[in-house]
Amino acid sequence: MASGGGAGGSNKTYSFKVVLLGEGCVGKTSLVLRYCENKFNDKHITTLQASFLTKKLNITGKRVNLAIWDTAGQERFHALGPIYYRDSNGAILVYDVTDEDSFQKVKNWVKELRKMLGNDICLCIVGNKIDLEKERHVSVEEAEGYAESVGAKHYHTSAKLNKGIEELFLDLCKRMMETAQAEERAKGNGASQSSSARRGVQIVDDEPQAATAAGGCCSSG
Amino acid sequence: MVLKLWLLLLGHDLKKPAIEMSQRTERRGIHVDQSELLCNKGCGYYGNTAWQGLCSKCWREEYQRARQKQIQEDWALAEKLQREEEAAYASIQGAQSQPQVQSQASLAPFSKFEEKKTNEKTRKVTTVKKFFSPSSRTTSKKAPPEGEEKVTGLRDWRGMFTPPWEMGYPTEDNQEGKTTSPSISRQSSIETDRVSRDFMEFLKTMQKPGREVQKHSRTFIESMANKKDLGADELSEYVQDFYQNMSERLMNHFKVSSENVERVMDEVEKYIMTRLYKSVFCPETSDDEKKDLATQKRIRALHWVDIQMLCVPVDEEIPEVSDNVVKAITDIIEMDSKRVPRDKLACITRCSKHIFSAIKITKSEPASADDFLPTLIYIVLKANPPRLQSNIQYITRFCNPSRLMTGEDGYYFTNLCCAVAFIEKLDAQSLNLDPEDFERYMSGQASPRRADTDSSWPQTDTALGPVISSPALAKVYQNLDLLSGLGTRQDRVLAAAQSLQRDLLTWEESVGQEVQEILERYPLEIRPPAPSAIDSDVENDLLPPPLMPQVFAG
Ligand SMILES: Nc1nc2c(ncn2[C@@H]2O[C@H](COP(=O)(O)OP(=O)(O)O)[C@@H](O)[C@H]2O)c(=O)[nH]1
Ligand SMILES: [Mg+2]
Repeated sequence: MASGGGAGGSNKTYSFKVVLLGEGCVGKTSLVLRYCENKFNDKHITTLQASFLTKKLNITGKRVNLAIWDTAGQERFHALGPIYYRDSNGAILVYDVTDEDSFQKVKNWVKELRKMLGNDICLCIVGNKIDLEKERHVSVEEAEGYAESVGAKHYHTSAKLNKGIEELFLDLCKRMMETAQAEERAKGNGASQSSSARRGVQIVDDEPQAATAAGGCCSSG
Repeated sequence: MVLKLWLLLLGHDLKKPAIEMSQRTERRGIHVDQSELLCNKGCGYYGNTAWQGLCSKCWREEYQRARQKQIQEDWALAEKLQREEEAAYASIQGAQSQPQVQSQASLAPFSKFEEKKTNEKTRKVTTVKKFFSPSSRTTSKKAPPEGEEKVTGLRDWRGMFTPPWEMGYPTEDNQEGKTTSPSISRQSSIETDRVSRDFMEFLKTMQKPGREVQKHSRTFIESMANKKDLGADELSEYVQDFYQNMSERLMNHFKVSSENVERVMDEVEKYIMTRLYKSVFCPETSDDEKKDLATQKRIRALHWVDIQMLCVPVDEEIPEVSDNVVKAITDIIEMDSKRVPRDKLACITRCSKHIFSAIKITKSEPASADDFLPTLIYIVLKANPPRLQSNIQYITRFCNPSRLMTGEDGYYFTNLCCAVAFIEKLDAQSLNLDPEDFERYMSGQASPRRADTDSSWPQTDTALGPVISSPALAKVYQNLDLLSGLGTRQDRVLAAAQSLQRDLLTWEESVGQEVQEILERYPLEIRPPAPSAIDSDVENDLLPPPLMPQVFAG
């Protein structure tokens, strides 16, 4: 219960919290809307909001409730990251394969997440918009090599073409289940310490950054 | 004379609203005078209408005293409900078990429990785990409030109605209770009793686990009595441990399904937190109130921040949108009036849904976090919700953790935390402003009204009149105009009444003068009465005899 992913016996339901992080316009919202609603750039979509979406899965006979938390990607909200990602079981770090800056942002997120949450959190690095292969500015080798070096998994997706998205989420869920099971075993082995990190919101100051324009994202306005 | 007085009174009454109205039109913004927000006791802290205009500290003092009076009534109600419950259990359990046996058994290890309690006091930090150990089932009956222990059942019930730390001795009521008005506690006590009753009703449907949940919950509330001086984090730790142990026990021992555990835990939270609210919301041991004050001031200082600076994707000129904005503001303000953490969360969720509607109508696409967070910030700035920090802390400390961590409510709550953190740290860069401008706006030396904007914060009004940004605001201004029109009309009525009064006075005078003149012209002469000519020549014996009353027998 306290770990959020808590589930013991065979008929238990896992509940996982996953945060979406990344620069504005890389396709975070498009990815979840594709995954949960199978919609892309749909003007007639009836969904009221795409900031908190859930998905129920059944993985090898175990029920999983996945809660996907979109985060505000504007630079001026960067310092709020820790409030969003605390207690999360997984993080999906999205960049746009045509935008090198967005990949740099992902690297910053990885550093911060590892510093704040250690290895408790499952990291996915996602290069989105692979339908725009011709305009690619981040090489596959570089991205995958980096992911491996920080203990994250790398995925390539296109929200537009619905490519690689199912795999991404399924894989992530399996990894989070493994982590939760390992945690339970550790608990069972006597180290039964109720969550010490249950509370405690703190905001870390931004690393000094170039005074980038704080204007809205392309998707707003 | 009476008429004159009446007119004076009327004149006074007419004048007062007229003055207020003209002040109000000058101010134009939705603004409340600072002094109206301060504690009625004049201690300098902010008061709250929910606390009869007192601050939390003064309220607590008032409340503690008024609460004493409540106790006896609670006793009566508790007694009644106890009888009801016993009857209900008797009918449920029927022949198989006898309730009296149970309550007697639970009486035996009483002294032991007393001992435990005193240990607890001295050790200060203990866990509630022991309530869940198998032996606690027999020992968890509540310790008697010093000395009396006649009817176990009654004591149990009374515990449910009056938190033990507020019970005191029954004799105390008569001495202390007189000084305060019972109306302070009346409302909350009715609510508490209703929640207790609902809780019992709910647990009755659960048979054995229900009985245990009730027992543990009650024991827990009682155990919190000696802990009210603890720090907020410790209080939270106790409550969270209790939630965790209770749900684990339900799941592992009673094999309750996880959905049902959620349901039970919701009820447990509701019951426990309704009772503990007064002592653990914004506790004196924390600096929550100081933070509330700071945040409130900060939001006021940021009154000039507008929708463009925050890049809020809502167009308030669309009536439906401004409607949703108003509703969102109302919801977030309402949060403070709820006692149960989950009810507070529900207010945030309702607020968020209205924000989503506003965005969806404006943009005709589902709101993403990029849209949602700035809009929520805007709503918080506009609403300046009462005791925002206290409420956030209270929810964080005492809400069921599963709800906060993965649930939808938790997401909106987290965004609210983000909004508050952003407001606290906000600087020129985060609004894309020149640092010098930012400073001037913050110090009130200038207001950021630009010629090209079609929207502005109401308070940035100047002599030119407001730039109206939303139909709702337009309506407000229209109403204000109407009101000031009414004011001038009232002034006219007043003037006419005063001239009427003057006319009446001069009329009275002139009438008086006329009368005087006539009196002077025809002075009253009193002459000695002359003997009547009729009487003089009539002889007495010719007159008929005087009439005499006649008496008839029968
Ligand atoms: N070509 C292409 N465009 C995409 C893809 N995913 C998102 N986009 C576009 O990128 C823009 C930003 O997407 P959005 O989901 O709002 O990004 P967010 O700001 O990270 O949430 C939108 O115009 C999308 O249509 C993709 O896979 N391929
Ligand atoms: Mg987005």
